[in-house]
Amino acid sequence: MLGVLKAIRTTVTAALRKPVTVQYPSAKKELPHRSRGLPVLLWDFEKDEPFCTGCQVCARYCPVDCMTVTMKDNPLFAEGKSKRKKIIDRFYIDYARCMRCDICVEVCNFDAIVMNNTWEGVELSRYDRGDLVMDMDQLLAQSKTGELKDPFREPMGIAHSGWAPKPALSEVEGAREEEAAAKEEPGEEQT
Amino acid sequence: MIADNPWVDALARMGIIAVAVPVSVIILTWVERKVIGRLQMRLGPMRVGPYGTLQGIADTIKLLTKEDLRPQTADRWTFELAPFVIVVPVFLAFVTLPFTADLFVRNLTLGLFYIVAVSGLSIVGFVMAGWGSDNKYALLGGVRAAAQFISYEIPLVLAVVAVAMLGQSLNLVALVEAQGRVPFIVWQPLAFFIFMVAGLAELYRQPFDIPVAESEVVGGPFVEYSGIRWTMFQMGEFASMVIISVLASLLFLGGWNWPLGEEVGLALQAPLIFVKTSFFILLFMWLKFSLPRLRIDQMMAFCWQVLLPFAFLQIIINGWVLVYGWPDWVMGLTSGLATLTAGYLTYRGARQGAEPASPRLHRVGSAF
Repeated sequence: MLGVLKAIRTTVTAALRKPVTVQYPSAKKELPHRSRGLPVLLWDFEKDEPFCTGCQVCARYCPVDCMTVTMKDNPLFAEGKSKRKKIIDRFYIDYARCMRCDICVEVCNFDAIVMNNTWEGVELSRYDRGDLVMDMDQLLAQSKTGELKDPFREPMGIAHSGWAPKPALSEVEGAREEEAAAKEEPGEEQT
Repeated sequence: MIADNPWVDALARMGIIAVAVPVSVIILTWVERKVIGRLQMRLGPMRVGPYGTLQGIADTIKLLTKEDLRPQTADRWTFELAPFVIVVPVFLAFVTLPFTADLFVRNLTLGLFYIVAVSGLSIVGFVMAGWGSDNKYALLGGVRAAAQFISYEIPLVLAVVAVAMLGQSLNLVALVEAQGRVPFIVWQPLAFFIFMVAGLAELYRQPFDIPVAESEVVGGPFVEYSGIRWTMFQMGEFASMVIISVLASLLFLGGWNWPLGEEVGLALQAPLIFVKTSFFILLFMWLKFSLPRLRIDQMMAFCWQVLLPFAFLQIIINGWVLVYGWPDWVMGLTSGLATLTAGYLTYRGARQGAEPASPRLHRVGSAF
């Protein structure tokens, strides 16, 4: 008997709370920073070329063989505008085959490839499977919009001076020390 | 009167009912889904029309255009007629249901008796559906429906009889007018409680959805039905819910009369009865999505061991008060005390049932 009253109280308190539903296509939840969409290439805004040198490490480590990479001599290096001797020529990723294992990101020596952490990395329904084979322009398009949220892990990100404004390593470490000090202080007061 | 000729008048009023009932069912399906949504911290239907208001119409179109399947081994006529046997009594009950003092098809002198008698017919449809489907789950559901319906019909009718004793009439309009300034819920809380529980059981909704339990008998009598015939079952359920709610507001909350009085006219009476009916409908929906299903022995024991004796008690109290001419508050007080006693007994029974070693549990075979 009392359980009945408890049950109807539970439901009515739930009814008074805000619904958790997000009206998905019209309203979207913010994806977490580490959200693992499908891999995309990064664009070096400073040198105006991709970070990728076409070294094929990602393609060799890819467990499902979804990547095709070729490399060429970098014309900008010949002009003396870039330090990259080699640059990516053609890059294909078959998104239908990719299993989002993140290994390509782990092994990349140049941090040229990241997992897309925007909704574009997830909303990939196509009418034709062939449309899921992405060429280099499509892979770089997301990075060129600048909407990728903080794509680098912290120490690596600092190495890319060309990317969005980042605090220098020394500043980061200084901030961390300050934080640690701030955390320690109240503890000392308590003891 | 809509027309001068009584036959034309009756036909016009029946036409209104025939349109209004399906429309209200369509609206109620939307309302129910919205209410469930909010009770579960969701939004409910939002896509079809503004706030999903056209969802009911979309559902209806989908159900009407679905294939109407009939199992090859089913008893053809029993199977195909069962939905009508459930839906027709519901429409028949609407014939005499007064929404306001002059908003009804026919004001029958034995209106209450007629409604109880006619709505009792729908059990035949459930048994027909269960038997005709040639499916063991449908049959089990049909048998469960029969057991539950017959059991709960008795306390329901007895609660209604208690009200009829007090109002000295079986005419629903007269009963509403007999309530005057004080609705019957004040004098008859016990009858009201019994009426609500038994009415909920008659609707086969949670927590009394034992005959149509999805996880026990996979939908019970409806298991083989699809398309328009399944829709008719659904319409029967929702329309019965409206009937029970209207009846509860007429018999216990003073219908269109209380608390505004008789003279306010249709413009205020119709919204008043609408609010009261909506309150009961929302209460039923609220209970549906709050309470788990009863076990079949709990359901039966609660009916025969609590509701039925207390329904008789209410009638005996009413008889004493009416015969000896005691003041009304005696009736209200004793009925209220009896309601509390019934609640306490149920609570104690549930507590005892929770203990596994109770000898009473095994002897009586109940654990409510």
